[in-house]
Amino acid sequence: MMKRTKKAAKKKNPLQTTFTRFMLIVAFFILWIGAIGVRLVHLQVNQSEWLRERAQNQRRDQLKSRMLRGTIFDRTERTLAMSVKVKSLYADPREIEDVELTAQKVADVLKIKPDGILKDLREALDGGKRFVWLARKVDEETVIKLNLLLETPELKKFDLPKFKGLYWREEQKRSYPYKSLAAQVVGFSNADDVGQAGIEQSQEEILRGATVKRWQDRDRLGRVYDEEEIENREPPKDIVLTINNSIQYKVEQALEKGVKASNSKSGMTIVLDPKTGEILAMANYPTFDPNKFNEVTPEAVNNRAIQSIYSPGSIFKLVTYSSAIDSNSINPNGKVDCRNGFIEVAGHRFNDPHATKVMSYGEALAVSSNVAAIKTGLGLGKEKFYGYAQKFGFGQPTGIELPAEARGQFRSPETWNGDSLASMSIGYEVGVTALQMASAYSAIANDGVKVKPHVIKEIRHSGGNPFFVTEAEKTPLVSPKTARSLRSMLREVVLKGTAKRAQLNGYTSAGKTGTAWKFNAKTKRVDAGKYVSSFIGFAPVDNPSVVIAVVMDEPKGGARDGGQVSAPVFKEIAEQILPEMSIVPDANVVQDDLMAENIPSEIETEVSLPEQIESGNISGELSKKEELKKVAKPSVENQKSKAIKETKETKKEVKEVIKKEDKKENKPPSEDKKSPKPKSAVLNVETKNKSSTGKGKKKT
Amino acid sequence: MSPKKLPNKNKTQRSEGNSIPWRYCFLTLACGLILVVGFFFAARQHFSSIDFGIKNSKLRKQIEELESSKRRLILAKEIALSPAEIKKAAQKIGLREMTASNIEVYRPNADSTEKPIEKPKVEKAVEEKVKQVGSAKSEEIKKEDQKPEKEIQAERKLQEDKDKANKEKKDKLKMQIAKK
Repeated sequence: MMKRTKKAAKKKNPLQTTFTRFMLIVAFFILWIGAIGVRLVHLQVNQSEWLRERAQNQRRDQLKSRMLRGTIFDRTERTLAMSVKVKSLYADPREIEDVELTAQKVADVLKIKPDGILKDLREALDGGKRFVWLARKVDEETVIKLNLLLETPELKKFDLPKFKGLYWREEQKRSYPYKSLAAQVVGFSNADDVGQAGIEQSQEEILRGATVKRWQDRDRLGRVYDEEEIENREPPKDIVLTINNSIQYKVEQALEKGVKASNSKSGMTIVLDPKTGEILAMANYPTFDPNKFNEVTPEAVNNRAIQSIYSPGSIFKLVTYSSAIDSNSINPNGKVDCRNGFIEVAGHRFNDPHATKVMSYGEALAVSSNVAAIKTGLGLGKEKFYGYAQKFGFGQPTGIELPAEARGQFRSPETWNGDSLASMSIGYEVGVTALQMASAYSAIANDGVKVKPHVIKEIRHSGGNPFFVTEAEKTPLVSPKTARSLRSMLREVVLKGTAKRAQLNGYTSAGKTGTAWKFNAKTKRVDAGKYVSSFIGFAPVDNPSVVIAVVMDEPKGGARDGGQVSAPVFKEIAEQILPEMSIVPDANVVQDDLMAENIPSEIETEVSLPEQIESGNISGELSKKEELKKVAKPSVENQKSKAIKETKETKKEVKEVIKKEDKKENKPPSEDKKSPKPKSAVLNVETKNKSSTGKGKKKT
Repeated sequence: MSPKKLPNKNKTQRSEGNSIPWRYCFLTLACGLILVVGFFFAARQHFSSIDFGIKNSKLRKQIEELESSKRRLILAKEIALSPAEIKKAAQKIGLREMTASNIEVYRPNADSTEKPIEKPKVEKAVEEKVKQVGSAKSEEIKKEDQKPEKEIQAERKLQEDKDKANKEKKDKLKMQIAKK
């Protein structure tokens, strides 16, 4: 049996053996693969999330970046504010091997002392911090320099700078290329890109760039091989303003000159298109550079044109007269008796030393008669006067798209005193902003239709498609006939009244001066030593294209009346911007030296200037002659008169030469000496030739 | 497995028995090859995708950098175009500011009855005088230009002689004063 079994064992088929072995191997593989499969199932089902997180942490970075803030353009598509990408250098102090060397290297390029950087790094190391700013918002040139200097060739790091522990982070920097131009309108944004003033503040929601989160997959060398945006946010929008940078610049220049010449505390100017309500320029002085927002003072940031309330004084008489004419309370061609030179209302005596006769309403407005204005206001009555003032928009904000606009002060009739109506008729007991007054004058310039002033022309997507376009909101205030009457009355003010310095070369102009005492909040009385001098006018008279309001706060240089301080600024602005706006001149070009105040004979004889110039209700004023003698002229005028003097001197010299030669030749003296042309005649020509020159085009 | 069914040691049986492992071998080899090729292909795809990803991110970064440098250039352009800068540049090349007094009124109808604005008589006289003086000066210059060279040389010699004589006189006077 044993033999048989041995034989049987020996006779085992080799193929079977092979097959068995093969099957064993297969079984081993099946087991192996099965084990792997089980492990895989375990990893992918039970541990998948933990593993995914671990893997992602190894290769993925989450980046948070903010979209660039929206751009602010002017109406000519020039950029007033825009953001650019900049880089900031930060350090992870734990990774830095030699802190002192690092601080020294960085400080060398930044041209600063290394002590500060060293101190920050050491403090962070001690505190266990992993993030320290070394230099924020560095310019491109410095970035390149730092990258070159900090390069460590042996370091395996993909991102720049190739230095252990130092990294760049992208940020954005707000830039204002035109510096202080329209600074109060545009405003500024702080280091965190949050609007702090002007349009930057009021349109924060529209301009602010959303924060975008992104994944970045990196390989073992730190190279990014995949990116993915987590959230898709809408990019911020751009804003187009109604401001014209060129006009704004000219206005700012003229205002600065005017403020310096009159030694005023501050000044403000608004240039408005009466037909569309678009603000072409809004200037304040003193001003600031929004690029250096750390250095600005609250006074400079303040947009006085919409935030400061002041007593308007005589410029408010426009409201009194327009209300009276529109409600047929007075006839604009009628006469008013101002013989007393004063008027007493509820025990309050209002003096009016420069209007002491029976005169037309036009003349009364021209000489800024207080008695005439008070009589007109009293004739109108409380309710009507209040109603019209409300219609003009006093006591309520204009709704301009700028922050912190003041409402002004206009009390309801129930709270008025006995003399309140009289005071309000001449612009006291009322608080207005320059924009409210400019808006009122623009309504008169626009045939009695008030257009809501606005500073935003359109808001558009970053691609350029408009998102919102501002449309003019029109409200009729007074009839076109009333507006025409008032325009002709205001024209008289410039031609014969208190605003002769607002006469323009080449264009007709109209407007009203105002000089008001300032209210002292401490004493709760008006301060007799402090004034607000203003002039609001428009040009050309027949078809006004611009309304310009100039307000000077506390002029101290001797001259203080609106006609002396603000009207020349109006003239300078209007003469520069009207040709630029392609407005055809509607009057003869009058030479600078034919200004009213340079022709005393004309003032005394032909124009019949009032003995005392525009004063609001200020008593005890100097006469015009004395003023001219005593008061120092504003520097703008001084410069002009200097130039004129120089030209006159040269002319005189030439004349003398001609005379001598004439004598030598025994000729009679030249014609110009024989019959000097009266300068006043030229002024008259200016008014007569209005229609004849209207056809002409300007040629530069 | 019954011993009856086991293959015999004859040739035919051997060939039959050998054919099975070869088939298995080929099949395994083919599968292995497909697997290896597949692995290689997948690996190649994977690495090339990473490569493209890296290139892509580089290009994206380049676009971002170009866009930001474009913005910087726009900003620089705006700074250069600001009225203050333009004014400086204009003043450098001698331009004046445009005001109403600088503008000449263009009249399209030259034959119309309207008279052109006459200049003040003083200005006219000045202009005429300037013209006269200018023409007189230019005539003098012309005359000088027309003089023959000999005459000019003779004049120069005379002038030089005079200067020398004057110098000598001055020196003599100085010497006399010094002696005294």
